[in-house]
Amino acid sequence: MDMMISNLQQQRQITEQLRREAAIKRINVSQAVVDIMKFINEHEQEDCLLVGFSSQKANPFREKSSCTLL
Amino acid sequence: MPPKDPELQKLQQELDDLVKKLKDEQKKVADTTLEAVCGSIPDAPKVRLVTKKLLKGHINKVNSIHFSGDSRHCVTGSLDGKLIIWDTWTGNKVQIIPLRSSWVMSVAFAPSGNFVACGGMDNMCTVYDLNNRDSTGVAKIVRELMGYEGFLSSCRFIDDKTLVTGSGDMKLCMWDLESGKKTQDFDAHAGDVISISLAPDNQTYVTGSVDKSCKLWDVREEKCRQTFFGHESDVNSVCFHPSGFSFATGSEDKTARLWDIRADQQIAQYAPPNANSGFTCCGISLSGRFLMCGSDDTSVHIWDTLKTQHNGTLAGHENRITSLSVAGNGMAVATCSWDQNVRIWV
Repeated sequence: MDMMISNLQQQRQITEQLRREAAIKRINVSQAVVDIMKFINEHEQEDCLLVGFSSQKANPFREKSSCTLL
Repeated sequence: MPPKDPELQKLQQELDDLVKKLKDEQKKVADTTLEAVCGSIPDAPKVRLVTKKLLKGHINKVNSIHFSGDSRHCVTGSLDGKLIIWDTWTGNKVQIIPLRSSWVMSVAFAPSGNFVACGGMDNMCTVYDLNNRDSTGVAKIVRELMGYEGFLSSCRFIDDKTLVTGSGDMKLCMWDLESGKKTQDFDAHAGDVISISLAPDNQTYVTGSVDKSCKLWDVREEKCRQTFFGHESDVNSVCFHPSGFSFATGSEDKTARLWDIRADQQIAQYAPPNANSGFTCCGISLSGRFLMCGSDDTSVHIWDTLKTQHNGTLAGHENRITSLSVAGNGMAVATCSWDQNVRIWV
């Protein structure tokens, strides 16, 4: 009998959770994709993996030479 | 044989109806596909990343890697029982922290750079203060977070005072590091929680699990906001898209996928030309244009997120890639592997 009760409680909780998840407001995939595209567009120029480094000086991973201009 | 409880039956029916309603609502907003919307944009250039630094030092499999918020230092955890803090710009080891347990599975760097956390089969999460040494000259342990009934699989600092952890006992825990006490402790998934990724605004996070689903959580709540189904096997890795609108996943089912939060569904699927291995980790470039997944097949696969094309692979590791981290400023990608090496790709 106890098992049935806790089973019931669990079922109730699962159903309540699903009810919450089903009730959320959704936007259209078309709008969602447009928003993602917009973000990517706005940040493309800063993305080193996309546009590379503006100059070797901007690349902190480069080998530092030991010569300096006097 | 006792008769089936009528209330239970009623609930089961309601559950089935709700599942159907959810699927219908998702279908309703699926008015187009990612491929259709992005069909006319130009292809992304081929990614040209090479191993700029090959970091050697661990003497066993390296299981986890995470960049600091300064985009320069990263922490790795290995089965050799050590954490190493690396300066990726020079390749130098800044600190070596011997662990009490060598079974480390997950590491995290606080965005501030002040703390690192790690844990694994010791069923604990240990937090080290990198700015304070103990009597042996090693970073001081400031917290040992216990009470897990399963291995620690993932951890992330929300800030210097707050840590979220996922574990093999299927739970998520939120810790207040100042008091050393849990502020939240709840059942999260129907299987091991494997991966956690924080949203760019730190207000929400996603988790991936062995139960094949991913869930979206509000940092203040114990009930999940949304659940995403679709993967056919363990979700090994989740990563928030920098836009905050979506997140990517890498799975044992040999696919990577992109999920939109507000549309509440999967919007893209990515697979390499020869899909023969599961993905263990994933990361997204700064703009969100590239998705990178580390694989069992020793390489990192790269895709154009918008055009879903496979853009290339990063070859170099000689064994399974276990973890991947993209620097916050987007300049580098760090990977670690069972081949004991750490690579910085620039």
